[in-house]
Amino acid sequence: MASMELASFPILSTILLSTIVALLVIMLIPEDRPKLVKQVSLGFAALGVVLSLLVYVSYDVDKGGLQFVERFLWVQSIGIYWFTAVDGINAPMLILTAVVLFTGVLTMWELETRVKEFFALMYLLVAGVYGVFMSMDLFWIFVWYDVSLFPMYPLIAIWGGTRKEYGAMKLTLYLLAGSALILPGILYVWAVGGGHTFDLFELQRMGLPAHVQRIAFIMLYLGFGILAGVWPFHTWSPVGHVAAPTAVSMIHAGVLMKLGAYGILRVGMTLCPEGLGYWADLMALLATIGIVYGAFVGLAQTDLKYVIGYSSVSHMGIVGLGLATMTVDGINGAVFQMFSHGVMTALFFSAVGYIYDRTHTKMIPELGGLSNTMPVASAFFIIAAFCGVGVPCMSSFWAELLVFISAVKTYPVRGVLAVISLVVSALFMLRVVQKTFYGPRNERWEHIPDVPLALATPRIILVGILVFFGLFPRLILDVIQSAVVPFVSSL
Amino acid sequence: MNSLSTYLILAAMLFCLGLLGVLQRRNLIGMLIAIELMLGGASINFMAFNRFLAPEPAVGQIITLFVMGIAAAEAAIGLSIILALFRQMRSINVERAQRLSG
Amino acid sequence: MMWLFKDPVLAAACTGTWLPFLAMLVILIFTRRNQRLSAGISIASIVTSLICAIYLFTKLFHAGVPVQYEVAWAMTPDLYVPFGYLLDPHSLLMLLIVATIACLVQIYSVGYMAGDPGFSRYYAFQSLFAWAMLTMVIAPGMLQLYIFWELVGLASYLLIGYYYEKYSASQAGKKAFVVTRLGDIGFFLGLIFLMLGYGDLGILNINQAAAGHQIPGPLVTISALLIFCGVIGKSAQFPLLTWLPDAMEGPTPVSALLHSATMVAAGVYMMSRIFPFFAASPDAMAVALAIGTVTMLLASTMAMATYDLKQVWAYSTVSQLGFMVMGLGAGGYFAGVFHLTTHAGFKALLFLCSGMFIHEFHTNDMRVIGQSGGRNLKVPMISMTIGALALSGLFPFSGFFSKEAIMGVLAQHTNKVWLFAGLLGALMTAYYSFRLIFFVALPRKLATVPAEDHGHGHGADHGDEHHGNAYWAMAWPVMFLASVTCVLGFFQAPLEQFLTGGHAAAAAHGAGQEGAGHGMGHYVLLAGAIGCALAGLAWAWVEFGRKRAPQEGFLKKFPLAEILFARRWYLDDFYRKALDTLVYGGLTSLFTRNDRRVIDGAIDGICKLTVGTGRMTSFMQSGMLQYNLLVMVAGIGLVLLFFFI
Repeated sequence: MASMELASFPILSTILLSTIVALLVIMLIPEDRPKLVKQVSLGFAALGVVLSLLVYVSYDVDKGGLQFVERFLWVQSIGIYWFTAVDGINAPMLILTAVVLFTGVLTMWELETRVKEFFALMYLLVAGVYGVFMSMDLFWIFVWYDVSLFPMYPLIAIWGGTRKEYGAMKLTLYLLAGSALILPGILYVWAVGGGHTFDLFELQRMGLPAHVQRIAFIMLYLGFGILAGVWPFHTWSPVGHVAAPTAVSMIHAGVLMKLGAYGILRVGMTLCPEGLGYWADLMALLATIGIVYGAFVGLAQTDLKYVIGYSSVSHMGIVGLGLATMTVDGINGAVFQMFSHGVMTALFFSAVGYIYDRTHTKMIPELGGLSNTMPVASAFFIIAAFCGVGVPCMSSFWAELLVFISAVKTYPVRGVLAVISLVVSALFMLRVVQKTFYGPRNERWEHIPDVPLALATPRIILVGILVFFGLFPRLILDVIQSAVVPFVSSL
Repeated sequence: MNSLSTYLILAAMLFCLGLLGVLQRRNLIGMLIAIELMLGGASINFMAFNRFLAPEPAVGQIITLFVMGIAAAEAAIGLSIILALFRQMRSINVERAQRLSG
Repeated sequence: MMWLFKDPVLAAACTGTWLPFLAMLVILIFTRRNQRLSAGISIASIVTSLICAIYLFTKLFHAGVPVQYEVAWAMTPDLYVPFGYLLDPHSLLMLLIVATIACLVQIYSVGYMAGDPGFSRYYAFQSLFAWAMLTMVIAPGMLQLYIFWELVGLASYLLIGYYYEKYSASQAGKKAFVVTRLGDIGFFLGLIFLMLGYGDLGILNINQAAAGHQIPGPLVTISALLIFCGVIGKSAQFPLLTWLPDAMEGPTPVSALLHSATMVAAGVYMMSRIFPFFAASPDAMAVALAIGTVTMLLASTMAMATYDLKQVWAYSTVSQLGFMVMGLGAGGYFAGVFHLTTHAGFKALLFLCSGMFIHEFHTNDMRVIGQSGGRNLKVPMISMTIGALALSGLFPFSGFFSKEAIMGVLAQHTNKVWLFAGLLGALMTAYYSFRLIFFVALPRKLATVPAEDHGHGHGADHGDEHHGNAYWAMAWPVMFLASVTCVLGFFQAPLEQFLTGGHAAAAAHGAGQEGAGHGMGHYVLLAGAIGCALAGLAWAWVEFGRKRAPQEGFLKKFPLAEILFARRWYLDDFYRKALDTLVYGGLTSLFTRNDRRVIDGAIDGICKLTVGTGRMTSFMQSGMLQYNLLVMVAGIGLVLLFFFI
């Protein structure tokens, strides 16, 4: 009975609306009450967590398919629908977004400059992200996608750190180049489909001709792929991560990069299965290069955030490889990896954020011996590093397991190469951990206090999620699967 | 005398005078006034066409009312921009305001 | 929760394995600041595990058929990862060993680690280790085994690098993790191939299928070889043996745990676990035999050249593991497992004794310990001698029986080279063990040389009576293990019956080989093995033990060989070089430069080009408002002209 009522309640639009309301409320708060701004932000973020958890829990796995559907005709002449729905693929993504936002707000609790504008822009960014994840209409996907891109520039350029103008500019240009590929791709598909619907699934049912699919797929793949950090379009990501303030790095690496992979899956692969078949080989190749390359380049970095940036390149390569296999396990693994990598990088950046706030440096040679003075803060980073190495009973292990098995099956050589790169990734993660946190007591950081409980909370939540889904992978895998199995059989 | 072409010629003259003013005057307020002249010319055109070609619905008159409204808004914004510029430059000569040069 | 009470076996298995995990969580989250409570929680949990293990062992001793429980841990249409427990004789035996050793080590650590600032952390990691190892041991499927195998690696990384302030410790931890990871990659790939080729990774299933030739031969060989890479990494076989000697950077109890029943034993255990599968591929068995032999001999030579107490035992572990792999590779399932069992006991004993010396004298150097009066610590001195006797394979200690069993298997092999290698190994083992014992027990210049590293005030005249609680917390586990070492060997027959009774395939295999060993040849072999061990002992006596012995090994006469042995045959240097040139100097710098120059260079180039073009066209922008207007009007004029003319 409860689920019936829930089904008729437009919960997805409520989630989206809540972020926009939050944005407006924050704008209305007077400049001189930053504390209130933070509290309001936290409140709305918590609301998002509750609502998306509600969606996730009440999603009926046995029934599968699209649920919580809201579909209204919006512009008849060109066929734009307000079409939001949840299936097994985007349900985890909604939770990811909500959790990363919530922990991000908590992480930025000590922000002092232009608090109001910061959180307002954050909410704008998150509105875009939610919008992309829940929309099933190409027009809206594109609109929300661009909404999520543009706050990045001010967020990095104003509150950023190292080389912030350069990083912000590079990131914005790259991502806009991506959306310059996506828009024609979408319009092309729309026009070939008759020009009277943007509905993703109607277009899918129409079945586009093979040559159209090939062209459209490569445009969508490259366009979304830039955001997903596909090699060789990845260099914006480390630079952008380094420049961005902590919470923005968290949302950016944790959620925004997933937007790219999600776009490839939701738009590109759904609409152009034959195009995918044609380009899958290239996808797998680029992904494998990304996995190996990211790990090796990560070995040479001296800036903590650069290290994480390159690890993201490597891990997003795993997502790409999973998608390219076109098998149930591969795509399961890819979606799982999107989720767990999102949580993991959020934890990474959040841990580095605390260290940077206190020591004012994130250069590895200057740090060292931090475990002595701040054991808890160090522990968060170390746990994230273990997750990055692929230690079992952490959620990313399962994702990697699934992806590697299907990759070895589909592309033996590339799959084996990707597996071998696990050694390099272990080497580079542990190297960073050793140089930053181990070693003799460093007098320079003697006076720094360990993380207070309030600031530790977001990190504890993230660690908890990583371990929880590592111990009980079925709780998420079954949901993902309910969407992936029919999806793969339709390919 | 009471024919469409008379009004059109008048409107064209007004418009051209305005255009000349905008292009030639170096004083920003002068340019603003010249723009008003051009708008006036356009309004006369609307009224004239309405009167002679489509007398029944008062569309032309409505548009003219809109134009007047827009002109007022434009003058307000224009003047405030000019004021702001004056505060910065101590002058309202366009030649002094060349910061946008490449 | 009702099912727990309905099935006490399952309840015991669950409690035994998950309690340490809970203990770890509780310690890390809640009781980090309360050291005594943390240790109490951890020890209580491992004692409960031990009780559960004993209960399971006695309850299922006569069960005959393996008991298996499974739930789906992760499930997709193409992949099924079960989580569960497989209780058969082999896993029950190993469960008992692991729980016992872990329990003893934790009790011992109360004394050894007393006063350490990271005491709680230490116990949390110990619990993590216990959880991972116990669950690994009773895993019913290879994937679960692999998962907990990796966790064992993680736990040993944390424990080896426990003194993270020391560069060498954190380096050793990293090395252990990365090197074993290298082997695990092979393991993982082997599992993937096997799964893709056969479709099931249940231990009983693949054993049966391989023995029944239901899996194609080449697939068995390839995956067995790849899986063997995991053994090479974990059990420190050639060429990945270099991490283990470094791993003694951790606290000594950790070394005891690592070297006896857990980390390194995991490799041999895994190999024996799927022994019928390995046995189905003669090629893989031959490779295992060869690698085991090389490892055993190399490590023995290394042990002869070091003066570090723990390092000698570390090398001896490597060499004994090689010996077990030899035994398994030669087809002796029971021999390998039996040696694993006895070795777990006496190697833990040796390390715990060394730990007492190190705790007392604050040095690892056996000469200094001897000169500072090491022999006055009677409990460790006697126990260590017992351990060394067992290690050398002398009657009536446990090592004698298990070594004899392996020798018996080797003797069955058509190629006698392996047997001679084994005997040579026994000779060297006795030599280096007693070299150490004589150094500690019969030092020269006892009174004249004061120890430089001598930490706190305990002089040479202190006897056992003067030590406090910490000492006895360490002494009890040592004495227990020493007594186990003395009697364990006599349980060979019931153990063999227990282990091979359930395993039809292995029984046929093992009984055929070991049964044939009895007879005339058996006594010759017995005499040979004991003779070799006694020769090694005598040799050590001549060089180190007797009065006026030079206490300089024969190696001093071959400086080149000594350097070679002491540098570990340059394996470390080789890896360092390879890492520097290939990884850091090669691919890493190549890729980094590519990132900076080529990719970023191209992008920045495009941006510069755009900006430059903009600069050029911007000359047309005078910034004069009216020029812009003029251009606009002219443009409109041109458009009008175009349309109307």
